Amino acid sequence: MSDVEVKTHENFILPANVVTKIDVSRLVTEVERVDNDMTAAAVRTKTGASEQTQPILSEQLSDFLHRNDLKLDAGQERSAIIKQLRLLKDKAPVLHMTFAVTADTESLQKLTEWVRATIHPQAVIAVGLQPALVAGVYLRTPNHVHDFSMRGALEGRHGLLVEELESLRAK
Amino acid sequence: MGLFQHKKPGAPKTPQEEASEAVVNYIDETFKDELRDFGRSYFEKIINDTGALFQQDLNTTIGQVNVQLQDHVTKQLDVAIAQVNAELKDSVAKQLENQFAEYNREMKDAQDLALKSLTDNSEQLQAEYNDLRTTLQKNVADQKVTLTNVFEENKVRIAQMKDAQDLALKSLEESAEALKTQYAAINDTLRSNVANQEAVLVSAFEDNMGKIIEHYLLGALGDQYDLKAQLPSIIHQMEDNKQAIVDDMKL
Repeated sequence: MSDVEVKTHENFILPANVVTKIDVSRLVTEVERVDNDMTAAAVRTKTGASEQTQPILSEQLSDFLHRNDLKLDAGQERSAIIKQLRLLKDKAPVLHMTFAVTADTESLQKLTEWVRATIHPQAVIAVGLQPALVAGVYLRTPNHVHDFSMRGALEGRHGLLVEELESLRAK
Repeated sequence: MGLFQHKKPGAPKTPQEEASEAVVNYIDETFKDELRDFGRSYFEKIINDTGALFQQDLNTTIGQVNVQLQDHVTKQLDVAIAQVNAELKDSVAKQLENQFAEYNREMKDAQDLALKSLTDNSEQLQAEYNDLRTTLQKNVADQKVTLTNVFEENKVRIAQMKDAQDLALKSLEESAEALKTQYAAINDTLRSNVANQEAVLVSAFEDNMGKIIEHYLLGALGDQYDLKAQLPSIIHQMEDNKQAIVDDMKL
């Protein structure tokens, strides 16, 4: 099988449980490990050892292979997948999202689904924590920042609060 | 021996004949040879003795001559040394006298020269003293004139200063009045500024109070929402800015 027959990183569909760049790196590492195990098993089979066993895959890798209709049986295909995953890891657009509270997995997956459906299909999220934001999110794209936090909203309305206090004092 | 071989017994002979005959008989060739030998040995002995004596005398004489010659030479040498000493003494004395005379002459010349120099210096000092005295007298006269002029000028200046002081006093009195007026104005301005500062401080207090309330609100609300509760709002805000985010990601 040649590289042309395998999906490129631009066509990959990332499952919802692959959220961050670290998750993509983990996919690359796991496919490399599987490739090494299967190559070693193939060699052992040729030398007359016991029968080859199927490798155990993580849920993320299983979902990724299922969504992209990929299989790891052939060595060349595995090599092509590793290569494309490495490219995806390097080139996937990253959204830095800083929250006021710890982000749970379910919320992150929902956010990721929305981002990939709306912004970019291979986008990944880099998660940060900043309690001073109170609520909302502080979003940083490659060239801009978007402050959707409550702290940002209150800073914009600081004058209104002072006016209300003055009006209260006048009464 | 032939002495008894020529004697003839019987004929009387005179003593002289007997003596002559005896002499002839006595002195034969052998006897002559013996005599000759004896004489030779005797003569040699005498010569030797005489020579020894002569040698002794000669040695004695030579010793005496040596002694006398040594004495004579010593005397002559003493005389010569004494003469040389006397001449050397005379010569050295003469040379010393000449040198002393020359030194005395040179010292005298040097003294004369020094005396002449001192005399010249003294005359020069006298001349300079005279010049200085003249200059000093002239300067004193000039200073006297100058001081007189300065005194006159100072008199005028003192009078002018007195006028200026009067003017300054007058000016000071006027300034004091002006300061009093300014003080009143500054007092009014200060009161006004204090009132303004009070207003500013009150405003700042209100502003800080706003921040305190804001901080309280942030602290009170911050723990009330988890991400699930915030998610609709976050997605809504991101939806509102979707285009800007998409544009930025495409760059």
